[in-house]
Parts: sequence; structure tokens; C-alpha cells
Amino acid sequence: MAGGRATGSGLSGTSPSTGGRALIIFIVLSISLFTASVRGGETGVLGTIRSGFSTVTTPFRLVGSAITAPFYGLGNIFSNLTADQATLSELQEENERLVQRNIELEEKAQLADRLAALMEIQSTYNLQSIAARVISGSTDSWSSTIIIDKGSAAGLSVGMPVMDASGVIGQIISVSPTSSVVRLIYDENSSIPAMIQSNRAHGILNGSASGGLTLDLVRSDLNVDIDAIVVTSGLGGVYPKGLPIGRVTIVERNPGALYLEISVEAYARVQSLEEVLVITSLTDEQRASADDISEADAQEMSAVNNVPEVQTLAQSPDEDEG
Amino acid sequence: MQGIDKNTKKRLTAILAVICCVLQLSIAPNLPFFGGRANFMLIYAALMAQLFGGRYGVIAGFLAGLFFDFCSTSPIGLMALLLTVCAYVLGFEVRNKLADDFSVTVTQFSIAALAVSSAYSLALVLVEDAGFFQALFMRALPTAVITVICYLPFASILSRNRTNFTVSPRRGGSNRLH
Repeated sequence: MAGGRATGSGLSGTSPSTGGRALIIFIVLSISLFTASVRGGETGVLGTIRSGFSTVTTPFRLVGSAITAPFYGLGNIFSNLTADQATLSELQEENERLVQRNIELEEKAQLADRLAALMEIQSTYNLQSIAARVISGSTDSWSSTIIIDKGSAAGLSVGMPVMDASGVIGQIISVSPTSSVVRLIYDENSSIPAMIQSNRAHGILNGSASGGLTLDLVRSDLNVDIDAIVVTSGLGGVYPKGLPIGRVTIVERNPGALYLEISVEAYARVQSLEEVLVITSLTDEQRASADDISEADAQEMSAVNNVPEVQTLAQSPDEDEG
Repeated sequence: MQGIDKNTKKRLTAILAVICCVLQLSIAPNLPFFGGRANFMLIYAALMAQLFGGRYGVIAGFLAGLFFDFCSTSPIGLMALLLTVCAYVLGFEVRNKLADDFSVTVTQFSIAALAVSSAYSLALVLVEDAGFFQALFMRALPTAVITVICYLPFASILSRNRTNFTVSPRRGGSNRLH
């Protein structure tokens, strides 16, 4: 190594460039771009270029989606490892026979089912929406997003909520003429106003890097059951009120804490998303009413007013001992 | 003064660029690995740096990073900055490192992949207010691992054919691809 370097570099001015000057130039350029990008956001010049770039690269994403579709089943191999080998072999043989005969019909039937489910939910909730197909997942590891095959040319814009037949999946964060990027509810930057359907307890549903969902800011004096249904609250005017999101899986009540720690399992399975609905506009009934807003405010105020009471209760054992 | 076989160099650069860009757009998004996705642009930048090094590697690193930034939803310029620095460090000696011991080359790349992924995660923690440990262990680490796995076939093929790509520094201060 040292020999190669000594031979290659030399001490005279004739040595090959190590790229020091280029390094400085491109570092300055990168930092400038970074600053401009952070300041300008998706609406700036760089956002526009990125939108154009997304349009140009859409065909590659479509091809990649088609190529990798058969490999999605690989994930099931790991879960099947725990099953009995004989059972697996029998199931495999049977599955192969069935697949040979039914693969085409099954595919069409599934598509029809999915579209019917989407139509049903569109009709049930009276949604003004556009159907779109998922063409790709996130290209990087640091965001939970999907790319759909409809963009500004189809009337989509940033901020529109997106759902599948089972519930809310996210929100559009950038659009190009032919495609849009949807931030999934699992993304750590995602926050959705939500509430427990049974007792109308309002909170904010947040994503995390681990892929879990937590319902925050629900008062600790409210009773939340496991398996309680979580729906959108409609506050903020982005998501229609009452759309299903998921169910409560864990409720933790810490002594002295103002709010409960609630884990939520989403109904939507983003790993197998193929068709989605983009909600393009809300009717008056779908927006949070003045009563809903008052109710949420009242809950929040109640939580704040309960602070001394909670502290007093927490201190009372010590006082008794004293 | 011996001349550089520029055609071979350009051809190799272009072929690797096309392969890595297509893989970044089509394969990386659809094959997640414990929450991480392969960074083929890091692989491209590293290969360019390890094969040619110097200014050539730095430019390739910057452009690869910029491509990654435009593909992602994160701020533009962040990966460009990291890959520029990464390519400079990996290509500092301006010679074909893929002709070295394979395990050393892979080790160097693994360290670079972990450093770039971690730095990117930490930068996003600052910019986007993400969780520190989650970003580091659930994003950076899986990304580094899957990227190293995807790097292996490239490095293996190129190092096996190293006699075709060997850069030999000469008196004239240029490199040659045999």
C-alpha cells in the first residue's frame, strides 16, 4: 500500500491530483444546496427540480416495482420456518397446484376485490377521491414513504390524505405531474389528529422509526380499552372525521403523568399496498365541527387543570407517612 | 509520457453509473432490509474512488450524492456532501484499491458505509427532529449492512478483473488503465 502510494504520489508537482481543490469546491456547493433546500422546502427551485426528476424517473420505478413484485413473498419464508416440515411440504405442493390453475383468475379477482373495497369505503364515507396505484416504496432508509402513479396532472396536491380500503395510510408531501410521494403514518415525522372512537378521547397519532404508532396527548384520567378503535378526529381540516386508523394494543398509565402512553396497530398493511384512494376534498360533514373543537379544547384544559390534583395525589403517601 | 486509456475509464464510469442509478431507482425501494435500504449511490461513489480516486472520485461522489438527494425526500445536498467527503477519503491515494487485498477493500468500504449512514442519520435528527437512537440503530445500521452486501458483487467482479482496470501512476503524473 505504502509502496503504491509512494510511487503514485511523489513529491513533485507532477503527482496526480488527490482532489483537494475539488473537495473544497463540492463541499461548498453541497452546503449551499443543503441550505437552499432547507430554506426553500418543496416549493423552492430545488423542490421543482426534484419534482421534474421524479417525473423523469417514474418509468424506472414502475419497472422496478414490476420486477421485484415476485420477491415480496420471500418475507413469508422466515415466518414459515417455525412450521412443521411435512406440513410445509404438503402445503407447498397443494399451493403449487392451485397456483398453476388459478394464478391469473386469482390476480383479477383480488384486483376486483380491492377496487370494490375502495369503492365501498368511498361510498360509505362519501369521499371525494381519486384512485391511484402504488408504484414504489421509499428510495432511502430515512423516510417511510410510497410513490403513487397520480400527480398534479390528475388534480392531486400536497397535503391530501391517502387511504386504502382498511383505513388511513398517510398524506401527500410532494407532487410531480405524473406521480406523488405519500408520507406514511408510520413515518417519524407523521402526526395525525385522532381520537378513540368509543369515548371520543382526542390525541395525536405519531409515527416512529421503529414502525410503531403511538397515540399521544390522551388524558390519563380517561379510560382507554385494549382493542379500542382509533379514528381520525377531523381537527386541523386535513383528514375527514371518523376514518378508521387502527386499534389500541397497549395502554400504559404512569403515576403522576398527565397523558397515557398508548400504542396503536394500524389497520392498513403498507407492505402490501397496491391501490389507494387520495381524498381530494372534504365536505362540511367531514370537517370537525365547532362542538368537536370545543370538546377537544375542554379535554386539554381539563388535563392542564388536573395537574395540581395529580401532584397532590402523588405526594399524599409521603404526607401520610410524615 | 504514457497516455491514459480514457475510453476504458469513461466506459466503466458510464456503465457503473447506469447500473447503480437504475438499481437505486428500481430495486432499492422495493427490497427493504430491517427498515434499511441499499444505497447504490454510495456504492458507485466508493467504486469510483477506489478505482480512480483523486478529483475524478470526488466529482463522481458529489454527482452520486446529488442523484440520491433528488431521489429521496430529505434535504438536497446532504448526501452529496457526505459522498464527496467519502470519495475523497477512499480515493486519497489515487490508485486502484480494488487491486489490493479484497478483505481490506471491503473493510474500508464497510467503515465508509457505516460512517456515511450514521452521519446522514444524525444530520436528519438535527434537521427533521427525528429520534436519535432510532435513527442510528433502525436506519443507519441496517442501511450500512445492506449496502455492504450489495457492494460485494461489484467489488468482487472488479477486483477479479483488476488487471483490466489497474491504474498505474507514472512519471507524467497520470494514471493508466491497462
